[in-house]
Amino acid sequence: MIEIKNLHAKVAGREILKGINLNVKAGEVHAIMGPNGSGKSTLAQVLSGHPAYEVTDGHVLFEGQDLLDMEPEKRAHAGVFLAFQYPVEIPGVSNSYFLKAGLNEIRKSRGEEELDSMQFLKLLKEKMKIVEMDSSFINRPVNEGFSGGEKKRNEILQMAVLEPKLAILDETDSGLDIDALKIVAEGVNKLKSPKNATIVVTHYQRLLNYIVPDFVHVLVNGRIVKSGGKELALELEANGYDFIKEELLQSV
Amino acid sequence: MSEVKNHYVSEFQTFEKNGANKAPAWVHDVRKNALSVFNELGFPTTKQEDWKYTNVTPIAKGSFKYSSAPVQIGPDVVKSFLVEGTDQFVMTFVNGHLAPEHSQLSGIPNGIVVSNLIGAYSGHGNIIREYLSKYVKHQKNPFTALNTAFINDGAFVHVPANVAVEKPIHLLFISTKKESDQIASHIRNLIVVEEGAKVNFVVSYRSVGDHTNLTNVVTEIVAKKNSLVEVVKVQKENESAFHVENLHAHQHETSDVRIFSLAIGGAIARNDMSVIIDGEAAECNLNGLYIVTGEQLIDHHTFMHHIHPNCPSHELFKGILTDHGRAVFNGKVYVEPEAQKTDSKQTNRNLLLSDTAIVDTKPELEIFADDVKCTHGAAVGGMNESHSFYLKTRGITEESAKGILTVGFAAEATAKIVHPALRHHVDLMVVDHLRSKLGTANLPDIVHA
Repeated sequence: MIEIKNLHAKVAGREILKGINLNVKAGEVHAIMGPNGSGKSTLAQVLSGHPAYEVTDGHVLFEGQDLLDMEPEKRAHAGVFLAFQYPVEIPGVSNSYFLKAGLNEIRKSRGEEELDSMQFLKLLKEKMKIVEMDSSFINRPVNEGFSGGEKKRNEILQMAVLEPKLAILDETDSGLDIDALKIVAEGVNKLKSPKNATIVVTHYQRLLNYIVPDFVHVLVNGRIVKSGGKELALELEANGYDFIKEELLQSV
Repeated sequence: MSEVKNHYVSEFQTFEKNGANKAPAWVHDVRKNALSVFNELGFPTTKQEDWKYTNVTPIAKGSFKYSSAPVQIGPDVVKSFLVEGTDQFVMTFVNGHLAPEHSQLSGIPNGIVVSNLIGAYSGHGNIIREYLSKYVKHQKNPFTALNTAFINDGAFVHVPANVAVEKPIHLLFISTKKESDQIASHIRNLIVVEEGAKVNFVVSYRSVGDHTNLTNVVTEIVAKKNSLVEVVKVQKENESAFHVENLHAHQHETSDVRIFSLAIGGAIARNDMSVIIDGEAAECNLNGLYIVTGEQLIDHHTFMHHIHPNCPSHELFKGILTDHGRAVFNGKVYVEPEAQKTDSKQTNRNLLLSDTAIVDTKPELEIFADDVKCTHGAAVGGMNESHSFYLKTRGITEESAKGILTVGFAAEATAKIVHPALRHHVDLMVVDHLRSKLGTANLPDIVHA
């Protein structure tokens, strides 16, 4: 589904990604773990097209298309979704208007008919069950006054409505208590299918108890230094990131 | 300057001879006193702190005349100014004179008075005498002095105790051309809401034609104990017009006053909006939205005066500026030593859509109580890039994102209007105005539902 080759990127003149290679196939869940500042969130932002990040080398193919050449909205149309680590609050714009506008633009880009308000509301209410969100959130402004957990749930709700092929979850577990974490993770699991893929970016192993990855990659200093199965996450949990760094030093 | 004063002195003589004698003697005394005050003060200059950013020379130079006779206008145009899809009581004034043919006051429940000021002296003279010019002082504000000197007509509304007025009351002030004269309308409104009463107002200032008139308003609102008053001001006069209003609300204990100012019209528009919270546990919401385009200048000076303990006050003023538009926001909050547990919040946010638009924003907090929560914030900036990116990652195009965020920026302010039909009315006007001024085809009608 997505092929990342030798991806280099910088922000504010500083190189953060120094040659990322990663292949994700439909039906797979990949976890990207790493210490703070290793470039995890940068990778997520670069894939979604954040204008502050400059790609200096490498390429990314998404279902055969050059992803890096596409505007953020075109990436969304193609089926890429980023669940933000820090979702922004947009006063004045209701959650439902925002989601309907996004969904209809995506449908339009696929040559599908736009949903009218009634059809959309019906769909939205179904999807809200997935993340156990109260219907009062429909008309509240986007993320305004939401708690940390509500914001993350709202991200997963958007994912449920937009039905992306590739979902990138950026630190979706940060700031969540265990109950909220479970709801969010269950939401993600319910949306999993053989046709879509998920990249879970996380610092802690905790989330991976609930969203079980097929592959775990360790990102250190802008490169993937180790890949393995889900047991690698447990190893990291037990030993911390230092043991990887030590391994790296020894191999130099 | 003396020429300017002489103009108004001679206007005053004409005025006092010509129809203005319908008012009782005490009103004549108030007028004469106010004229002498105006004579002393003259029009303000930018050397005065309160008028530093708003140069009223174009108003001072105009020879605006008192219009003694009403001008006919068509019913369709009046209809187009009303609130869509809701029943409302309407009282219309044209160039400051009551236009009964454009008013709809039948069915007003007994006891509620919705009248023009001139018509109310005989039946309600005692209430008028008690409150007219009581809280709004003309000694320092030349426009208020001028208005008071020319007190003639305007709206008088009295809501008796424990009465809830079910339909909104629409006070509609239309300014129109009269031959080649530039007309001055010194509109005087007095609203007295008794204990436990509830009422919603929309107060509209509109133009028919593209003439240069001066609308100089003083609105006095008295909200008694436990009353609930919402006033939505809609100022959309033509872009040659000059508009000045001094709106004052005087709140008693546990009253709840909500004022909203939509300011999108006029060449120069100055809104002084002051509230004295003169009773414990009263709440005030004072909000507004201004849009300036072309060469417009729109100024809001607010003053929130906390005298007693346990009163919350909230102010949110937002502005959208483009072209060579200019806006001024000056928000003063004064907390007296006795006003403990005051919870006062003031926010002014401006969206600049051109490099040539200018905004001057200034909070002024004077706090003399120690156990209070008072916050203020002001922001001026372009389209929020992180908001735009967020929308785009959900598939929304750049162009649509701009439209959604612009309408959303305004909607955060209009969301403060409580009455649903009044909010809807304002939202429609805002989007309509933005569409015609910004030339953005992609503006959504509504982004909040």
